[in-house]
Amino acid sequence: MRRFKTTRNLVVIALVLAGTGYLRLPKEQRFMEDLRERKIAHPQIDPEIWSKMGQTSLAGTFGGLRSVMASFMSIGAFDHFENNDWYELEKDYEVITALDPYNSFYWDTAGWHLGWNAASWARRNQDFSRAKRRLFEMEFLEKGDAIYREGLKYNPASEDLWYEMGAMWSNEFKRPNLERAADAFKMLRNSRNPVYRRRYLFTIARIPGKEIEAYQEVMRLFTQNPDIHLLTPKFRVLLVILGSNPELPDGKLRPQIDPVFDSLEIAYRDLYNYWARIKFDSYYAGNYNLLMKQLIDKLNVPDSLNPFITEPKRPLYPKAWQTELEKRDRDASPQ
Amino acid sequence: MSRRASTSFFSLRRILIVAQSTVTQLVRMKVFYFLAPVALLFVGIQFFDLIWYQGAETLEPEQELRMHKNICLGTMMVFSSMFGIVATALLIPGDIEDRTLYTILCKPVPRLDYLVGKLVGVVAVIFIAMVVMDVLLVTTLHFRTEGKLVEATQYMKKVGYPEVDLAAGRAEIAAHGPTLILQYGVMAHFLKASVIAAVALLISTFSTSTIFTIATSSMIWIIGSFQSVAREGLFNDPTSGGDPNMAERIVNTFVSLVFPDFKLFESIADGAVRAENVLQADMIQLGGLTAIYVGIYVVLSWFVFSDKEF
Repeated sequence: MRRFKTTRNLVVIALVLAGTGYLRLPKEQRFMEDLRERKIAHPQIDPEIWSKMGQTSLAGTFGGLRSVMASFMSIGAFDHFENNDWYELEKDYEVITALDPYNSFYWDTAGWHLGWNAASWARRNQDFSRAKRRLFEMEFLEKGDAIYREGLKYNPASEDLWYEMGAMWSNEFKRPNLERAADAFKMLRNSRNPVYRRRYLFTIARIPGKEIEAYQEVMRLFTQNPDIHLLTPKFRVLLVILGSNPELPDGKLRPQIDPVFDSLEIAYRDLYNYWARIKFDSYYAGNYNLLMKQLIDKLNVPDSLNPFITEPKRPLYPKAWQTELEKRDRDASPQ
Repeated sequence: MSRRASTSFFSLRRILIVAQSTVTQLVRMKVFYFLAPVALLFVGIQFFDLIWYQGAETLEPEQELRMHKNICLGTMMVFSSMFGIVATALLIPGDIEDRTLYTILCKPVPRLDYLVGKLVGVVAVIFIAMVVMDVLLVTTLHFRTEGKLVEATQYMKKVGYPEVDLAAGRAEIAAHGPTLILQYGVMAHFLKASVIAAVALLISTFSTSTIFTIATSSMIWIIGSFQSVAREGLFNDPTSGGDPNMAERIVNTFVSLVFPDFKLFESIADGAVRAENVLQADMIQLGGLTAIYVGIYVVLSWFVFSDKEF
């Protein structure tokens, strides 16, 4: 009798649960779809990712701790970085980003590990042949790029991902691809962060053939917010240098030194520092030589600070400028 | 002429009396001592700098706040769900063991009142614990958010954010602080724990051992977290892995129909941590769903318990 009761109870429970389940199922599904559409709910984890998860992460995920597991896994993945275990690191980040895809920080970190750290490791690894070094470096750079792009699919508003991607492709210690960098920085032209906003200009000013576009960009930024952008030395220089382009159509505004720089000394210091940009980073030169020569004459610049006589070895800071001028005056004064 | 004492089918007063005694019973089990390590954790993570944040903290304050919320809400979820299972699983066998059940049921207390009272007592203790943890979370998060706002403002001023953008940047960071949306996340965990407690109540009515109740309820907790995977297999076209076979379809249908969907609760909590736009309407829907789940499990518990012999 007791056994019969238990069986009867279980059958009734199963039937009631199934019956009410049938009624609530479409509502639950609609609710979940709505949450997913609004990016409140995470997307389903790909079956391939399940197989890559460890027991702990699986248990955590099933227990409803998806985001927490992602946080802890990302701390754990740091060990792979310290041991240069890049393929394990990549595997871990595949899981981490699947667990919490709407957190751009994980995509950013994954891209940084592979596109920056792993690529540098490959480039400097003396155990590899030159060809292998290059092959691996390019492989990791492309992996980094792919991670940033994948992250942007989930987080299209993340400016950091565009910025890091652009920075990776414009970094002179890697394998710069300025066209790809410019494509990324172009997405930040209207960013709230002025640092991000200027990067498109700073990139296209290095690409031969884009001088007119760079001029338009520098003028756009200048018109939008002159006070903020004029605080940046490179911006001040580009405003004058790009405006000196002889190929600019007539009637275009060509900013001059006096209104752009607070003093001739500041103009000279900024232009002096721009010399390394032209030489090493292929920035547009414009009428650099002419401007410098005019300033050298006006300011009576000593030979030690004249880039045409003494090749600059380091940036010219105000203190060094002051010291050199004092030395010049001392030497010139009658004994 | 004999006058038969009438006992109403359902009495809120009786339920509250049973609930009150359940709360006392649980408090005597020193359950709130658990809050001491929780407090330590919540305050401790305040000073915990994660290695991969070095240098980027000022630029990504949201991330640090998100991590803070993740750990705190994760702890609250684990505590409330586990407590819901263990406390409920212990109560009915405990009442049988110390013979309290006989003294209650020999009085005019309908079994439904007894069950509902027990559940309300457990849920009340979970609620009190959640409120205490919530206060801790809000306090620690408030101070951390303030700190991050100062750092971020310094950075934004340094790089030349215009006033409008600076205010917008600050608002974005503040959205990751203690907000109403974060409270929705806490509430979602509380509702989930209530459903889990109701599941444990149902199991404990026909189970013969506490361990069985705890183990089975824990399994339902885990299965409930991926019930949506099975359900979506029924509703959506498979995107990978090919069409499910007959056996898979049967399993999917069974899991979807019988088990509760805890993913919905977790999604709301996750969304709240990410400061997504969780709406009041979502919470109403979630509350309604909780009421349906709890209602079904209580009625089934009553059905099993009503003719149980002791």
